[in-house]
Amino acid sequence: MSTQKLAMVIDSAKCIDCKGCMAACKQANGVSRGVWRNWIKEAMPPLENGPAGSKKLGHGHFQPGACMHCDEPSCIQACPTGATYKSAADGTVVIDPKLCIGCGNCIKACPYGARFRDPVKRIADKCNYCPERRAAGLAPACVDTCPTKARVFGDINDPGSDAAKLLAANQGKVVRVIAKGPGKNWDTKPNMYYLASTAPDGWAVQPVDPLSFDFLTAVVAPAVKWAVGLSGLGVLAMLGRQLLAGAGGAHGPGGSADGADKDAKEDHHA
Amino acid sequence: MSDSETKRISRRDFLRLAGASATAVAATAVGAATAPEAKAAPAATAPKWESRLSVCDMCFNRCGLIARVERGVITKLDPNPKFTKSRGMLCARGNAGVAQVYDPDRVKTPLLRVGKRGEGKWKAISWDEAIELAASRMQDIAAKYTRCGMLFSAGADMQSGFVSRFAEAFGSFNVTSHESLCLLSGNRAFVDTFGDVPLPDVKNSKYVILAGANRLEALVTPDSMDLVSSMGNGAKVVVLDPRYTKSAALASEWHPIRPGTDMAFMLACAHVIITEKLYDATYMAERTSGLDKLSAHVADLTPEWAEGETGIPAADIRRMARELAAAAPASMVYPGRRTSDYENSTQIRRSFAIVNALLGNYDRPGGLVPARPAGLKKVAFEPPWYDDSPPGRVDAKSVPLLFDDEGSFVLTREAVIKGAPYPIKGWFVYKTNPMATAPERRKTREMIDQLDFMVVVDIAMSDTAWMADLVLPAPSAMERQDPVQALQSGAEGACLVWRDPVIPPLYESRPVFDILKALAGKLGLAEFFDFDIPAYRLKQLAAFPEAAEILKRDGVFYPPNPPLGGTDGQPFKTPSQKIELFCSRYADMGLDPLPVYQPPKASPDAARKFRLVVGRSACITQGSSTNNPLLSEFEPENLLWLNEDAARELGVRQGDVVQVESPAGKGELKALVTPKIRRDTVYMLSGFGSISGGLTHTRGVGASIVELMESRFDSICGNSAIHETFLSVKKKGAA
Repeated sequence: MSTQKLAMVIDSAKCIDCKGCMAACKQANGVSRGVWRNWIKEAMPPLENGPAGSKKLGHGHFQPGACMHCDEPSCIQACPTGATYKSAADGTVVIDPKLCIGCGNCIKACPYGARFRDPVKRIADKCNYCPERRAAGLAPACVDTCPTKARVFGDINDPGSDAAKLLAANQGKVVRVIAKGPGKNWDTKPNMYYLASTAPDGWAVQPVDPLSFDFLTAVVAPAVKWAVGLSGLGVLAMLGRQLLAGAGGAHGPGGSADGADKDAKEDHHA
Repeated sequence: MSDSETKRISRRDFLRLAGASATAVAATAVGAATAPEAKAAPAATAPKWESRLSVCDMCFNRCGLIARVERGVITKLDPNPKFTKSRGMLCARGNAGVAQVYDPDRVKTPLLRVGKRGEGKWKAISWDEAIELAASRMQDIAAKYTRCGMLFSAGADMQSGFVSRFAEAFGSFNVTSHESLCLLSGNRAFVDTFGDVPLPDVKNSKYVILAGANRLEALVTPDSMDLVSSMGNGAKVVVLDPRYTKSAALASEWHPIRPGTDMAFMLACAHVIITEKLYDATYMAERTSGLDKLSAHVADLTPEWAEGETGIPAADIRRMARELAAAAPASMVYPGRRTSDYENSTQIRRSFAIVNALLGNYDRPGGLVPARPAGLKKVAFEPPWYDDSPPGRVDAKSVPLLFDDEGSFVLTREAVIKGAPYPIKGWFVYKTNPMATAPERRKTREMIDQLDFMVVVDIAMSDTAWMADLVLPAPSAMERQDPVQALQSGAEGACLVWRDPVIPPLYESRPVFDILKALAGKLGLAEFFDFDIPAYRLKQLAAFPEAAEILKRDGVFYPPNPPLGGTDGQPFKTPSQKIELFCSRYADMGLDPLPVYQPPKASPDAARKFRLVVGRSACITQGSSTNNPLLSEFEPENLLWLNEDAARELGVRQGDVVQVESPAGKGELKALVTPKIRRDTVYMLSGFGSISGGLTHTRGVGASIVELMESRFDSICGNSAIHETFLSVKKKGAA
C-alpha cells in the first residue's frame, strides 16, 4: 500500500508549448535522439467568424503530458516478466531494466502512448518522475524547468504538498484524459490531473486489451523470468521476443516522425 | 472521431484524492480490486554531482542557472531559483546548453584558411602563430589604411565590451553589433519620445497590446512568463500579428493584421483616446509636449480609416482603444524587441510610444518603467589619439540618426563594398554571424571579398567563420570567467550577474578577453588591458562591497531598487524635457515630427505575391542554436508557412518542396500548409540553409532567410528592415 501517491497536476492553460520540459527531461535522463519521455500536445483551435464573413482561428491550447502513473495501469498486466510494476512506496509505475525483455507489449497496452522502446537500450522506457533528482531533494526536471510553472508535482496523499493544494483549490474542476471505447471500462485511473477544460481530449487510444496477454503472463512469464535469470539465456529470450514483437512497438510519444505533437499538427492542417 | 475523453473528477473521487490520509487509505483499498500488486522499488540514490552557479548563454536573456557537474562533466543545467528575473525557469535552449558544450561541431583549435575563401580548407595552427598572424595583419592594415581600416563586430556576450574597448584602444571607430540587425528602430523611437528606452512592467499590467512581437515564442524574461501569469490574474492581452503565433493562440484576442499597418492601428487608437478625452489632461499638460499638434494630426485617422488599412474592424479598434485607456496607467502597447521590420520602423514604433504617452503609464506599475539603477561602475580608460584617423565611422551620416556606438551593419557593409568614404580591409568578428543574420547574404560575401584579413572568434564554425582567414576557438560560457553584467527586470529592478567557470575550457579554446589581451600586448596596447577579470569585476562592483560574496553564494545580486514614480517631477531627457509626442528634433532635421502613415508598399512584381516575415520559436535563437544537437530535434528544418487557400491556388500540398525567390536570391524548403497565416504573407524560421561545412544539422537544410531578404534599412537609424521582401512561391517541378 502506497504511503505516497506521486502525481502531476497540470494547469495546461499556462502552457506556452516552449518545449522546455521536453528538453529538460531528455537532458536529465539521457533519453535517446528521436524518442521522448514527455510531450506537449496541441489542440486544434476552433474556426470562428472573423471580419467581413471571413473565418479566423480561435483560442489555442497546449497540453503537457507524460506517463500518468495510473492506479490501474494496463501496462502492468501486459508485462510478461514483471518488469513493470507499481511502486509500493510512492505509487509510481516502475520499469525494472534488468527484467524488461523489450517485447513491446506494454507499449501497445498504454492508451496514452507514454511508453516507447529505447532504440539504444532496446527496452521499454517512459517517465519515472526523475527518482535520482527526487533523492537529491529536487523536483522532476520538467517541473523544475517549466517557464510558466504549468506542471506541478507532488504527493497528493499529503494535503500539504503543492500538488494536493492545487487539486483542493480546484475541486470540481479537475479532469483526467482517459481512453473511451465500447464494452469495457478503459479508465486506467491516471494520476495526471488537468485543471479546467484541458485540450486536446481525443488522443488517448484504446489499449490493446491486456487480457489478451493473459496466456503470456501466466505461462510464458515464469519461463522468461527463469531464462532472464540465467544471463546467457536471458539474452536469447530478449532477442526472441523483440523479433516476435516486430517494429510496431517502437513508437514513442514524441518520436520525431510520429510524435503526438506532430499528429496534432497534422490533424490541424488536414 | 474522438476515442478518448477528459473525465471530470467527481466529488467523491476528489475527496479520495485530496482528503486526509484516512480517506486516502480507504480509496486505495477500493481501487485494490483491479489494481495490480505493488512492489517495493529499489531506492534511488541522489546523483553525485557538484552544483555550480553560472548564467545561461543560449540567448541574450542571461538566465541564472545551476550546473550539475559529475566527475568534471556537466550533466544538467537547472534554473537558479534565486534568479527571479527568469521566474525560476530554464527554457529548452537553456537545457540544451549542455549539448552546446559537448557539441562535436565545436571549433577545437585555431584554424588557418589554406584553400580559397569559403572553400572550407583549414590548417590547425598554434595559438602563438595565430596571435602573431592576427597582430601583424592588423598592424599592416592600420599602416596602410589607418586604424579605422579595421572593423570590429561583436554579438551579445558578457565579454563583448572588451571588443569595443580594444577597438577604441586600437583606434577604430568602426564597431558594429547585432543590434543594428535587430532592435535599434524601437530604441530610436522611444529615446526620441521619452528620452530613454523604458521597460514594460508586464507583471502588473491589466491590458497589453502585443503588436510586432511574439513574446510567448521569442522569449524575453520576465515578460514572457509575466504575460501568462497576468492573463491568469485577469489581464487582457491583445495580439496583432499576420500569423497565428503561440502568442496569438493564447492571447485574450487575436487580430490577423495586414503586415506593415501597425501604425494605422496605433494612430486610430490615439484618435479615439484624444477625441473621447480618455487621457489625464493634467498629466498630458505637465509631462508631454505637442498634444495639440498630435490631436490635429490624428483628427481624421478614425478607426474606420484604420479598418481599411489593417483589416481589423473599426468597432474592435475603438473598443480596444477605450479598454486600453480604461485600464491606464496599468496598460501598455508593448514596446517590443526586434524592430528591424520596415524602412519606416522608427516611425512605426514612435506611434507605439505615443499611445503609451497618452496612457500616462511612464514610471507607473503595469506601464513602462525607466531602467532601474544598477550601480555598476564603468572601468574607464583614456583612449590613445591617432593623428591620421578619419573624421568618424565609415557609415557616419548615412542616415539622420545613427546610434554612434552601434552603427548600421547594412550601411557599413555598403561602405566596405564601395571602399568609400574610406577603405576597410580588416574584420574582427566575435560571436556574431552576419552571414546568417544580415539581409542579402551575397552582399555580405561581397563585403568579405574586399577584405585583406578576417578573423572570427566563435565556439562553432558559423557561416561567417566559414568565410574567415583565421578562426579562433572560443570556450562556451560554462568554461568562462566573465565580468559583471547588469540585467533589467521591469519594475523589479536591476540585478547583477557574473560567471565563474563551471568546468575548465575544453580543447584549445580561449576566451576573447585573453585573445584581445594577447593582441594588445603584440600591438603596443598592453596598458589598456593591464588587468584580469577578477580585478575588473572588483572595480565594477566598487559601490557594493558585499556583492562579490553574494554573487558567489547566490549567483545573483540585487542592488537597492527605489520605488516607481521616482522620475515624477524630473525632466525627461528630451530637448523639451517632456515626453515628445511631437518630436522637435525630427522637425529640425526635416523628418516627420509626428508619425505619418504610409501604406506598406505593394509588391513591385505580380509574380512575387507574398510578403516574407520572419521570426523564431522558443527552441532556437537564430543561427546560433539551430545546429545544437538537442534543439535540432525540435526544429530540424525550417518550413514555409503558406496559407491553405494560397497553397490550393498554387497546387502546393502539405510537405511539398517549394521554390521561393526574391531579387536577392532563392531557396527551397518544405511547405507547411496552414490556416495560421494570412494569404498575403509567408513565414519561415531564421537560422537554416547554412553554408558552413562545420554545421552538421543545418548545412543545406531548409532555406536561408538572408539568401532571400533584400537589403533594406530603416531610413532614420539604419537598422535593417527585413519584412520588406516579397517572394514568389512555386511547387518544385511545377512549370
